[in-house]
Amino acid sequence: MEEISNFPLNPEPPEEESPQSQMHESTPDRKTMRTTKPGIKRLILSLTVLFSFIIGFPFLWKSIEIYRAPLPFDRIESFSSQLESDPLHFPCRFQAIFVGFDFSASRGLGPNDVAAAITRKMSQLNPNSSRCGNCIGGDYDVSVVIDSGSSCAQTEGSEAKCPLKCGEVVFGGKLSDEDFDEMLKRCLGNVGGGGKGYSVVVFNGDKEEGEVRAVVGKYRHAWVLGHVSEDEAVSRTAEIFARVFMNAGSEGNSIRSEFMPVGADGRIVLSFSLLNAEPQDWIYDWSFHEIDKTLLHPVIQALQPIANITVESQVLYYTPKSSFSYWDDIHGSHIFSTKDLPFFLNSNEWHLDTSVAAGGRSKVLQLVVYIPSAKECPLQLELPNGDLSKTNGFISPVIHLPSKFPYFIILAYFGILQMWGGVVVWNPESCVKDLESKDPDRRVISPQNLQKLFEVLMGQLRQLLGLKSDNLYVGQSGAYILLGSERGFTEWELDVLSGKHVCFNLHSCATTLGSLSRLVQSLPRMIIIDEIGKQVKFSLEAAKFAQSYASTGIYNASAVSSRQARSLVEDAFFHPSIMSISYYSFEHCFAIYSPFFLPVTMHVILAALREWKRYKQENRKYLAWKAKERIVS
Amino acid sequence: MEFCFLRILKLTMKVLVMLLLFLGNIKNSTAYFSSSSEATMHTNNWAVLVCTSRFWFNYRHMANTLSLYRTVKRLGIPDERIILMLADDMACNARNKYPAQVFNNENHRLNLYGDNVEVDYRGYEVTVENFLRVLTGRHETAVPRSKRLLSDEGSHILLYMTGHGGDEFLKFQDSEELQSHDLADAVKQMKEKGRFKELLIMVDTCQASTLFSQLQSPGVLAIGSSMKGENSYSHHLDSDVGVSVVDRFTFYTLAFFERLNIYDNASLSSLFNSYNPNLLMSTAYYRRDLYQRHLEEVPVTNFFGSVMETIHTDSAYTSLTNKNFGGAKTKTFLGQSFSSSDINSVRNSDDEDQFNNLTAEEDQHDEAGQCIFCAMDSGHLWSFILGNVITHESVDFFVCYGLVLMLPLLVFSTWLSL
Repeated sequence: MEEISNFPLNPEPPEEESPQSQMHESTPDRKTMRTTKPGIKRLILSLTVLFSFIIGFPFLWKSIEIYRAPLPFDRIESFSSQLESDPLHFPCRFQAIFVGFDFSASRGLGPNDVAAAITRKMSQLNPNSSRCGNCIGGDYDVSVVIDSGSSCAQTEGSEAKCPLKCGEVVFGGKLSDEDFDEMLKRCLGNVGGGGKGYSVVVFNGDKEEGEVRAVVGKYRHAWVLGHVSEDEAVSRTAEIFARVFMNAGSEGNSIRSEFMPVGADGRIVLSFSLLNAEPQDWIYDWSFHEIDKTLLHPVIQALQPIANITVESQVLYYTPKSSFSYWDDIHGSHIFSTKDLPFFLNSNEWHLDTSVAAGGRSKVLQLVVYIPSAKECPLQLELPNGDLSKTNGFISPVIHLPSKFPYFIILAYFGILQMWGGVVVWNPESCVKDLESKDPDRRVISPQNLQKLFEVLMGQLRQLLGLKSDNLYVGQSGAYILLGSERGFTEWELDVLSGKHVCFNLHSCATTLGSLSRLVQSLPRMIIIDEIGKQVKFSLEAAKFAQSYASTGIYNASAVSSRQARSLVEDAFFHPSIMSISYYSFEHCFAIYSPFFLPVTMHVILAALREWKRYKQENRKYLAWKAKERIVS
Repeated sequence: MEFCFLRILKLTMKVLVMLLLFLGNIKNSTAYFSSSSEATMHTNNWAVLVCTSRFWFNYRHMANTLSLYRTVKRLGIPDERIILMLADDMACNARNKYPAQVFNNENHRLNLYGDNVEVDYRGYEVTVENFLRVLTGRHETAVPRSKRLLSDEGSHILLYMTGHGGDEFLKFQDSEELQSHDLADAVKQMKEKGRFKELLIMVDTCQASTLFSQLQSPGVLAIGSSMKGENSYSHHLDSDVGVSVVDRFTFYTLAFFERLNIYDNASLSSLFNSYNPNLLMSTAYYRRDLYQRHLEEVPVTNFFGSVMETIHTDSAYTSLTNKNFGGAKTKTFLGQSFSSSDINSVRNSDDEDQFNNLTAEEDQHDEAGQCIFCAMDSGHLWSFILGNVITHESVDFFVCYGLVLMLPLLVFSTWLSL
C-alpha cells in the first residue's frame, strides 16, 4: 500500500494523463493543482472491467459448483442410534397346555403360578434374550392351560379352549408323529388368532407308558407324551420355548450366528455343479429338473421372504481335486483328512462361477457334488478324531466297506463357510472301471441316490443359513425329536431365520447409511445425484416399515422390507455416479482455475486501484485549484 | 512439478482449509478408525494385479504382472478372485518374436501366457476410472461379476501395481495419472464399507513409496520398490525378445516366492528382508504404521495365498424324504467337528532368530520412513530444510518454496510493468 501512495509523488507524471493538464501550462503550480476536472473515463473503464469480473465470479462459482442432493443426515443418525439402543424384537406368545396334571392338588399352584415358573425358567435358559431379532426379552407372554381331566383352569387372556377338545383322541390312539403334528395344528391352529403363537402340550401318561417322548413338530407346536412329574413338565416346556422355538436349537457357535449368505441385492443364486473328475473313467449325469421341481421348489418358496432365490445347475468334466489322498487297506478306500479340506477345492480347474444370471452384488452359493476318478475311488473323509465319516450317525446304516455293499455310498460331505457353499463327495456305485469299451461310460445318478445327495446338500444349505440338521435336540431336561418339514425348513425355524435376517439387514443398512453419510460429509466435492438422495430416503422408509412390522409380529413383511432397505442403501452407496475422480480436492480446483484467472485478475485489480489513486490525486489538485480560485476571486 | 505446485497451494491455502474445517466438512480421520471391525475373521483372499503401461518397450511391466498372477494362482487364489488388468497385449504384439507367449526370463523356461490366463481388464479398459471403480465397487449394473472385486470385511486383498510412476503419481496408459490422493481416497472408501480386512499394496514403479504418502486407513500395509527420488530398474534384457523382460523388484519378489509352496509359512518380514538394496539398485520401502499385526507373525500366504475355512457337515436333512424312507430316523448326537485351518498358523522357531537379527535393520528403515513423512508436514519444514541441506527431500522442498517466493516477485514485477 505504501508503494501505491508513494507512486503519485513520482516527479514525472505518466504521459497519457497529461493532455488536459498540458492545456493549462500557464497555471503557476502544476504539480499541486489543475484547472480542469480530472477525466473519469479511464477510471470508469477499469472499474467496469473489475466489476464485470466481480459480477462474473458468482456465475463461475455456480458453474463449477458440484450438485449434492441433500441427505437426511439427522434421520440416519437417529435411525442407527435407535437401532443400537433398542434392539429389534418380535412379539411372541407362548402357550403351555398340561393335560392330565393337577398342579393345584399336588402343589397348590394355579395357572398363573405355573406361567410365572415357566417364564422364570425361560429367562434362566436364555440369559441373553435381548439379542436382536429375538422374542421380546424379560417378560415372556406365557399363558397356561391346566386340564386335570376333572377340572380345567387357565390364565386370564388365554385363547385356548378349556378343556382341550382333542386331548382324549390323541391319548387313546397310536398316531405317527407326523399325524399327531397335523392334528395338533388342527386343534390349536386357531391359537393366537393366526399370529405367531408357540404351544407345547404335555400329556401325562401312566407309569407303564415307558419312556417319555418329546417331539417338536414342523409348525409351531411341540408335545410331550409319557409319565412326567409336574416339575419336569414345567422345565421341559420352558426348554422347548427358550431353546428350540426361540433359538432354533443352535448354541450360537456353529457358524457366525449373525451371518446371512444373502447378497446385497437380496438375492441368492444356488448353483449346483456335478463334477466328473475324470470323464475317461465314467461320466455321471443327473436329472436336475426332477430335483428342481419336486424338492427344491418348496424350499425356495419357504425362503421367499428371506431371499429371492434362483437355481442353476451344470455338469463339469475334468475337475480333479487338488488335495492328496492315500490308500488305506483297513478301510479299503482312499482317505483324505479334514485338515486337507481347505486344499480340496481346486479352484484352477473347477470353473464353477459361470453364472450369467447372478447380478453384480447377488450371492452365489456353490453346491458341488464331486465324483472321484477310478484311481481314487472310493474316496472317504477322515474326521479329526481318526474315524471315518462312516461312523457318522446318519450314514452308518448305508455305508459299509465297498466290497460288501457295492451299490450306493455317500461318503464325505462338508461345507465351506461364508461366501462359498458346500461340497459333497459322492462315490460311484462301483469303482471298477469298464476297461473294454472305448466309449465313455455314461451313467445317470438314480433318483434315490439323487434324493440322498440332495438331503446332504440341503443340510449344507441349512448350515450356511445357521441351522443344524440333526433331527434330535439334546437339552438339559432330555432329548427332543425334531420333525422335519418337506419344505426344508419348519415354520418355527423360518421364524428364527426371519428374525435374524431382519436384524442383520437393518444393522447392515444402518452401518452402510452411516458410512455413506460420513463419506459424503468428508468429501465436500463429491457429486450426489438426486437418485442417491431418493434411495437413501426410501431405504430409511423401508427400514421404518420393517421395524413396525416386526413390532406387530409380521415376520414375512418385516423380512421383505428389511431386505429392501438394505438393497436400496447398497445401491445408493455403490452408485456408479460417485467416482473418486470427479471430486478432486479443493487444491486441485484452485490449481486448475488459477492459471486462467490469476494473471488477468491481478492486472485488472492493480489497474483499477491505480486509476482510483490517480483520480483521487487529480481530484485533490482540482479542488485545490478551485479553492485558490475562490480566494483569488 | 505439478504436484510440487499442489503442495505449495496446500500450504498457502491453509486459511481456506481451516475455513472448511470450521464448516465441519472435513471430519477427523479418526472417525474411520472406529468403524473398522477388528473382530472379523480372515475368510478369503483377493488379488488385484495392475499393469498400467502400454507399448512394446514396456513389455516388462506386463511380464511383471503376469508373473505375480501366476504366483498367486499357484499359491491358491482362484481366478474368480483375481482381477487382472493389463494395459496392452504384448503376447499378440506384432513385434513379439514369440507369438502368444510372454516370458519373464531370458532362459524362456516359463511361458507366463500359457493356459488359463483370465485377463479381466485389457487394453484401453485399464483406466484410472476403471481401476478406482474396481476398488470402490461402484460399477454400472451391466458389469459382470468376474470384473468386480466382491470382497467383504473378512478379505485380505493384494494390490499389485506396476508401470511408470513419479512423485505421488502412477501413470496409466500414457495419458492419465493415478495420484496418491486418489488411491488414498479409494482405500478410505473401501475401509468405510468393509471391503477388506487387510490390504497389501505392492508397487513396482519409480519413486513408488510416494504413492503411499496419503494413505490413512488402518489395516493397510504398503511396499514400494523405491524411495522418493529413486528409480526402479529393469533386471535384465532379453536379446531374443529385444526388450527388458522383468523389473528388479518383481524379479526378486518372484525369486522369494518360487521357493514357497502352498503349505509354507514364511512371514512377510522375511519377504521384506529378502530385498537387497544393492541388487534392487533402489531401496525397497514399506509403510507399516497403519498395520497392526507384527510382520513376523503374518505369513505371506495371508496375502499371496488363499485361506479357506471348512466345516464338516454332520448330518443331512432327512425330513425331505421322510415319506419315502419311513419315519424319522433318530440319529445319535455327534459333536460338531470343526476343521478351521488357516494354512499357515504354525511358525518355525528357526525363523524367529533370523528375524530378531533383522529387526535392527528394520528400525532403521522405519526411521527413514518417518523422516519422509515429517518432511511432508509443513510445520517442520523450515527446521527440516535448515537441518538437512544436502538431502534429496530438502532440495525438493527448497524448489517448492522458491516457487512460493516467486509469487510476490511476480506481483511486484507486474506492478512495475504497469
